[in-house]
Amino acid sequence: MKAAFFPGCLIPTKYPHMELAVRRTLEPLGVEIVDLDGFSCCPDPIFFQASDKIGWLTLAARNLTIAEEAGLSIFTICSGCTGTLSEANHMLKEDAELRERVNRRLARVGREYRGTVSVRHIVALIRDEIGIECIRESVTRPLTGVRVALHYGCHLLKPSNIMNVDDPDDPQILHQLVEAIGAEPVPHGERFLCCGKACVDVDLPLEMTRTVLRSIKEAGVDCMGLICPTCFSSFDTGQLLIARKTGEKLEVPPIYYFQLLGLAQGLAPADVGLNRHRIKPLSLFEKIGVTT
Amino acid sequence: MSDDARKKPSAEDQPQEAGVQVDFAARRRLEKVLGGNRVSYCYQCGACVGDCPSARFYAGFNPREIMLTALLGGIDKLVAEDSIIWKCSNCYNCYERCPQDVRPVEVIIALKNLARENGAQPDEVTSIYEMIRKTGRSAPVLGTLNRKREGMGLPPLPEIDMEEIREILRPDEEDGESS
Repeated sequence: MKAAFFPGCLIPTKYPHMELAVRRTLEPLGVEIVDLDGFSCCPDPIFFQASDKIGWLTLAARNLTIAEEAGLSIFTICSGCTGTLSEANHMLKEDAELRERVNRRLARVGREYRGTVSVRHIVALIRDEIGIECIRESVTRPLTGVRVALHYGCHLLKPSNIMNVDDPDDPQILHQLVEAIGAEPVPHGERFLCCGKACVDVDLPLEMTRTVLRSIKEAGVDCMGLICPTCFSSFDTGQLLIARKTGEKLEVPPIYYFQLLGLAQGLAPADVGLNRHRIKPLSLFEKIGVTT
Repeated sequence: MSDDARKKPSAEDQPQEAGVQVDFAARRRLEKVLGGNRVSYCYQCGACVGDCPSARFYAGFNPREIMLTALLGGIDKLVAEDSIIWKCSNCYNCYERCPQDVRPVEVIIALKNLARENGAQPDEVTSIYEMIRKTGRSAPVLGTLNRKREGMGLPPLPEIDMEEIREILRPDEEDGESS
């Protein structure tokens, strides 16, 4: 199937190896990635939305029109982009007055939002259009015995009436995806806690990330699996900050799901950028017999 | 309706004996911002608090109290410098839990929009906002990035038509439309 790739900002600029993992792992699943010209930031659901709500909606609508022109639905690889574009799409479809207001702005540059495309995080697209079974079939090196602590993050699932991905109180989608690559999904006590990135505070986000990481550490896993670069940055940089501030060394390797999928499809750690990670999943490498 | 029946529950810092004063004009300012208009459905049940990570980890953050202050029209306090609203994690748990569909997180986002108008936005928020307005991206692009991407076999970052972005971000008022 063909779908328009919405790369967002954080992954292509700061974590391009995650983009590489997505591009490499989708090919064997039969997803034809279409790169479209002109996408901007989704824009940022936290700070941009907090600054100019109508501007936020208008920029999101502009991005949607680019996919509409190409006649392709959008897949995202970041939960923030998923949230912004899905919420904007929903609001503009539901509220005719708002749509008119946004379209008056888009008309200044010859664009019109029509509401003809859907937006999905790539994990939802895989589950709903490709099928979890396709993942299983693409695996050549199952991650047998690898324990992965799941972190769903907030914006893939909520608001659930708009996202329509899974029950936010009992989600299954990441369980299924992790099981499909032969690994063991490990739910832990704080798996629903927010990474804290949006809080404007020095200590508050670190309190949240530390609570999640301690809970994961207690569960005894090889890595944590997640699907959002913002969560990744919270848990990656966050561990550095926690260690600097308190001396507590948590050493929980956060990994973007498509890097795990790449390993399971037989790619080397360096092919999916795991050699670039600050906290390397050494016990995972050992279990599947690879080295960086 | 008697005066008694009109009384609403009040936070500790509201004067009890004088009865409840609501600044409706201030509340209307909030209700005009997209997402701010549902605050009046709040009946102060507190369902938003139990599942709020910021309330759990930050003494003094309480979405029910923020809704109450907003209901009473205490907008100036909520959009002042260093307002408590910036401790919200945007996790949407309150949106899920609220039986009245108030969507407290959306009310808080509306308040944040008013805080910007009020010149009381935290610097880190302003800098991300300005970066997106000026470059179309929320993350800085280093000069060497496209070379690095090329080396990895990735296509160059797509160009963004900034003229278009600037044009559609111009406020409605300039077209003679109401906001």
